[in-house]
Amino acid sequence: MGRLNERFAPDCTILVDGHRVPARAGERVTSALIAAGRPLLSRSPKYHRPRGPFCLAGSCASCLVRVDGVPNVRACETPCRDGMRIETQNAVGGASHDLLGAIDWLLPKGIDHHKMATWNQLANRVAVKASRQLAGLGLLPDEVPAPWPAASDERFEALVVGSGPAGLGAALALARAGKKVLLAEREPALGGRLRCRLGLPGDPELAWAAEVAEAVRRAGGEVATGAAVIGLYPGQEGTQAAVVQRGEPSRMRRILAPRVVLGSGSWIQRPVFERNDLPGIHAARSLAVLLAEEGVTPGERLAVLGKGPEAAAVAKRFSQAGLKVELVEGEVARARGRSRISGLTLVDGGEVSCDALAVATDRMPAAELARACGATLALDAATGAFRVKPGEAGRIAPGIHAAGEVTGPCSAAEAAEAGRVAGEAVARG
Amino acid sequence: MARTFICTCEDVTVKDVRRAFEKGYRDLESVKRYTGIGTGPCQGKTCLAIAARELLKLGATPGEVMPFTVRPPLHPTFFSALASLDPEALPLDEGVPRKPAPVEKPRPSGALPKKAHVVIVGGGIMGLGLAYNLAKRGVTDVVLIERGYLTGGASGRNGGGVRAQWTTPTMIRLAQRSLAIGDSFAAEMGINTWFRRGGYLFLAPSKKQVERIEKNAVLHNEHGMRTRVLTPAEAKDVVPELDPTRFLAASWNPDDAVVFPWPYVWGYATRAEALGVKVLTFTRVTGFESEGKRLTAVKTDQGTIQADIVVNAAGAWSPEVAALAGVKLPNEPERHEILVSEPLKPFLGPLVSNLGNGLYFSQSLRGEIVGGMADPNEPEGIQMGSTLRFLSRFARALTEVMPITGGVKVMRQWAGCYDVTPDNNPILGAAGYDNFLQLNGWVGHGFMMAPAVTELMAGWMAGDPPDEIFERFTLSRFERGETAGEDFIIG
Repeated sequence: MGRLNERFAPDCTILVDGHRVPARAGERVTSALIAAGRPLLSRSPKYHRPRGPFCLAGSCASCLVRVDGVPNVRACETPCRDGMRIETQNAVGGASHDLLGAIDWLLPKGIDHHKMATWNQLANRVAVKASRQLAGLGLLPDEVPAPWPAASDERFEALVVGSGPAGLGAALALARAGKKVLLAEREPALGGRLRCRLGLPGDPELAWAAEVAEAVRRAGGEVATGAAVIGLYPGQEGTQAAVVQRGEPSRMRRILAPRVVLGSGSWIQRPVFERNDLPGIHAARSLAVLLAEEGVTPGERLAVLGKGPEAAAVAKRFSQAGLKVELVEGEVARARGRSRISGLTLVDGGEVSCDALAVATDRMPAAELARACGATLALDAATGAFRVKPGEAGRIAPGIHAAGEVTGPCSAAEAAEAGRVAGEAVARG
Repeated sequence: MARTFICTCEDVTVKDVRRAFEKGYRDLESVKRYTGIGTGPCQGKTCLAIAARELLKLGATPGEVMPFTVRPPLHPTFFSALASLDPEALPLDEGVPRKPAPVEKPRPSGALPKKAHVVIVGGGIMGLGLAYNLAKRGVTDVVLIERGYLTGGASGRNGGGVRAQWTTPTMIRLAQRSLAIGDSFAAEMGINTWFRRGGYLFLAPSKKQVERIEKNAVLHNEHGMRTRVLTPAEAKDVVPELDPTRFLAASWNPDDAVVFPWPYVWGYATRAEALGVKVLTFTRVTGFESEGKRLTAVKTDQGTIQADIVVNAAGAWSPEVAALAGVKLPNEPERHEILVSEPLKPFLGPLVSNLGNGLYFSQSLRGEIVGGMADPNEPEGIQMGSTLRFLSRFARALTEVMPITGGVKVMRQWAGCYDVTPDNNPILGAAGYDNFLQLNGWVGHGFMMAPAVTELMAGWMAGDPPDEIFERFTLSRFERGETAGEDFIIG
């Protein structure tokens, strides 16, 4: 926990439950909190256990907070602004010392919500009333928000979802074929996993993203960061995409494109062991991005969980940054710690001491949009993940192709190549 | 405490998933519903693979796990954002998800017996409620067949409203009985339904609607209901966030209720099975055998079963099932879309419905705003896809009557099918054959009527004199031309 050097020194202050936390304007709220050594940011819905940001990439929901009076906002997607008011939710007395945390201790066997208090009608009525008060996360917004500007209605010759290596490969191929492309990236920067800057063998350089962006613009297309595709709806004239475009002000964009390449990548999954929900457990890729772009380190002693080159490369990166790093390849039995992780016990009895854990285990293909378009899915029995099972050149439906990690684990180089093949095929189609 | 989590959005542990598996749920959709995995703000992005891996570890086959259908929007999206889309520019098409290639089907939950006294087609609340009530009356030689998983049809897709505010004495009587059963269901059946009498508030934006609710209120009071017509200011006392300029008056019955629908289905199924009924999921009816005026057997993809009585409780699929027996039902399936928002702390007591545009919404016990809105342009047909058009129509209608919701996000949208009849009344009793009993045509309010209706129907089948509904709502009424309809249909 801390900042790499003076280059990343805080220049503003955010308020978290009234406490001042130093931050850098524009960095994510979660970065400021991790740098300040405060990974505890929320409480779990049922047991009120301490939780903190896990995925750091807008997919899990462990970092939901109230921001300037708006409930259930992902802290990992919220840029810091001086004086920003962050309030933790679903806690009595703030998430750090939530009095309702007692629920976790009072119910060691857990809650079977189906059976709870069904022994008689009176008990049930009381339980339903109490449950209702305990349920839910945030409170209604403070104010009626300003209406969003009318949604735009735009046409592109191709839409590429995601700007990781697969999306970049596809966007470049389409731009080279002279197509007007919209490259939509949900994150504030291009590159997907290339932003980890792990330099694995064969990895394209992150600088390639800027080259692709340039090629897309030259061909009349657009590169949109902060553009989250929330739905794809295939139709007669092409596929309609609903896109939430962050900005001042944020706006909705309705995109119609006859060609789509999905490079939607993958989601991190929580590793399964006792206390796998402790604050201080984070997705390895996101930590690598935090280190490279915001100079934020998650602790003093980092355990890296996973096998393979990515886990090793993350371990090396943090080791170079001066952290004490241990690569954990064995199976974990349980994590230790109360309000943040303090160590791991392995199944073979080994002990690891750490104050943060980087998770580099199997990820799950982000197949939701592909599935909506009618893609066939295949179950990988080893990981439990459903991946897109595409046809020729990544085809999943008429005019819609998929490439990269959404079709299963692959290296960045393989993803870029699959993206190129898909982009070329869809450009011809 | 030492807990191991699969889904951190909903605090679902490995133990919870195991418990679901031990109950016989081997596919992700059923496990999702029973445990709550993947129903929180992250929509399963952080847990589906590990949940599937857990099921495989427990002994499910890859075919049984079945792909899980993640619904749009992919990320929680503000109602105010969706309201900025022009619904008229959006198509009302089949929606998403598009049908995938067929996958290997899970195994049926049991073997099909050779014969049974009663065979019920359809494992929604109607069929299961009937099975349970028959068993309770001593008729236990009952086999129920369901083509998919439990809660896969309208019983698992509705908004969970139960209201007594109807326009005919019959419907009021049935709904009041359902409310009474709902009140004690959890304790009686040993499963929580989160039954909550938050009331129903119908907003009337036009003079004509005001006249309607005033007339209804008189009828309601005659039946011992506490319905009152409120001014906009009084309605604001009930729901402070309403914009009182959007309606002229509101009909308010504080005793109507909101429930969580799924546990009714599980509760009926579990208790019916405990009493000896066989509930067979993933078993599809493929035809019938008959002799003269009687059906003699039901053919399924798992074999043939002899039956003395066949009940068609297949909801929107009822006309399809009846057609297999050569019986033509006038029912037409019609898609109705619905959504939930992110969970919020309790703020909304009643289910609110706008009679002007069919919008309805309530707050579930988990804190989500649950709501839907019919689309007058919806064509008939079995369709379960979700459209962007619905999101924008709903968002506009909701933020209009309750502007604060602009700052709330939509979490998930889905769709289900109403089973629509020409006069909006159900089809009950024998049709085409003396022993082919209909229990369908409920036009989107079957869920709330089922507890009362299945109790009456089981009684009738067990030898009680029939309730008037079994004589009035027969298929033959259409030939007789008696079609005074019900007009208080929402959603």
